[in-house]
Amino acid sequence: MIKLLKIEWMKIKSYNAFIVISSFFALGIFASNYLAYYFKKNVIDPADPTGLISSGSPFGFPNVWQTVSYYSGLMLLLPGLLLLILVTNEFTYRTHRQNIIDGISRTQFTQVKLLMAGITALICTVLVFVAVLLFGFFVNTGSFSFSGIVNVWYFFLKALTYNCIAILIGVLVRRTGFAIAVFFIYTFLENGISLLLLVWAINIKKNHNIDLGNMGNYLPMNAADGLLYSPFATFTNMARKFLPSDYTWLVLALAFIYLALFYFWTQRRMLKSDL
Amino acid sequence: MSILSIENLCKNYGRVQALKGVSFSVAKGTVFGILGPNGSGKTTMLGIIMDILQPTSGTYKLFDEQPDETSRRKIGTFLETPNFYHYLSAQKNLEIAAALKERGANDIPRVLELVNLTQRKDSRFSTYSLGMKQRLAIASCLLGDPEVLILDEPTNGLDPVGIAEIRQLIKQLHQQGKTIIMASHLLDEVEKVCTHVAILKKGELVVTGDVNEILANEDIVEIGATDIQQLETIIGTLHGYSNKKIQDKMIQLFYPVGTTDVESINRHCFNNGITLNHLQLKKKSLEAKFFELTN
Repeated sequence: MIKLLKIEWMKIKSYNAFIVISSFFALGIFASNYLAYYFKKNVIDPADPTGLISSGSPFGFPNVWQTVSYYSGLMLLLPGLLLLILVTNEFTYRTHRQNIIDGISRTQFTQVKLLMAGITALICTVLVFVAVLLFGFFVNTGSFSFSGIVNVWYFFLKALTYNCIAILIGVLVRRTGFAIAVFFIYTFLENGISLLLLVWAINIKKNHNIDLGNMGNYLPMNAADGLLYSPFATFTNMARKFLPSDYTWLVLALAFIYLALFYFWTQRRMLKSDL
Repeated sequence: MSILSIENLCKNYGRVQALKGVSFSVAKGTVFGILGPNGSGKTTMLGIIMDILQPTSGTYKLFDEQPDETSRRKIGTFLETPNFYHYLSAQKNLEIAAALKERGANDIPRVLELVNLTQRKDSRFSTYSLGMKQRLAIASCLLGDPEVLILDEPTNGLDPVGIAEIRQLIKQLHQQGKTIIMASHLLDEVEKVCTHVAILKKGELVVTGDVNEILANEDIVEIGATDIQQLETIIGTLHGYSNKKIQDKMIQLFYPVGTTDVESINRHCFNNGITLNHLQLKKKSLEAKFFELTN
């Protein structure tokens, strides 16, 4: 597999889209968090001296683990987009066929792409970890703490989910432009449906006193999204008793189930179809 | 040893049967042509052998073994179109190919020189002409000097000089003992380059065997006389022809290439009391032979 990863690196290291999107993502992680920090400090805090909307220091330890993970998570469509382009490029240039003709198996071709999804998620997570330390020590309002580091793990899970969805869409759709459109439309649609499901769950709780949990988080992308909460969710916290419970264990289990599903679907598609 | 053996291979695309139970084998050291008109199933068959298409039924073996990626690595294959990363140079594309094949990383300068692309090795693939792309694909096949080559329409898009060079290259490789399997719809290409041939027609194998036997040209002698019935009678005592056909007031005699003696035919008729009013030697074209086999 090391050999195959080296080959993947040979394919992407000179690719302009890779350099541009990776740079945007890396800058975006620091820029989005800095923007949130700046907004909190210069807009929210002066307007909300009592701390009604937001209390405490979201960029100080231990809250910074959650804050940076959450805001960095908003950038995760970018690595997904990059992987999507890299996969559909293989179909556009028909190099997926040539790779197999030249001597790798269909399974190896798929596995190395999924491994790339994992490695990309890991690199993104390392960047987030660095960003947490930078902001945490920069703001320096509390002593260093690992409390809340689980949010970085949730970020990794979210990144992995987004990347695997991107690869699955790439393998299913194959054409770059169409696949990018499907990726964004799917994201948009799933968020819309997720919101409807949440409203439905609230009504069921209100009318029948049955707590089905936040059903919006039971969908593939939202299962990973739902593990990371916004640090400024004051209004959500205030309305907590009207909202369905957050069954973290269930959402986490679903996130793993979806990942397994993406893995096997991608494999099956590549193993069974004509290339 | 058999390099490739195919057993009852079938491939359906929905209701369309692209391959209908094709079987044949390719012996080591041959230049094996797969000949057929467009849509006859040549590329489909090679695609199945290279595991990029799934057969509907049937089996095949490479090197007398169940095929896998290891057996594909031993073969230099160029299938249908040159497939390379458009944003990378020829050099970098060949480095990737060599890494996939696990051979030929040090062979890149040689193969680039062989196909006259050394000067353009650092240019992006997207800047190449069709002929250059084709030559790069052939260079990639030659990486690491494989014992077996599979080439699908290798001279497609090349100029006449390029076509001659590739054909010469194939002949040289054959002299070195390599096995070459080549799909083509060009009859004269197969005839000039191949030692063996399999002819496909609408997914069915028409015939397979030695190219000299299957694509052997015939000389045709057309003779005519006022009394065609008597002419037919005396032709019955003439030797040397392989077949005859009667057309209107003409009789066609088919002779193996180079064995026709027009004078002796004329003498034979005259000695038997027939004066010919028509005597013409015709060469049967390869195209006519091809149409005869595939129609």
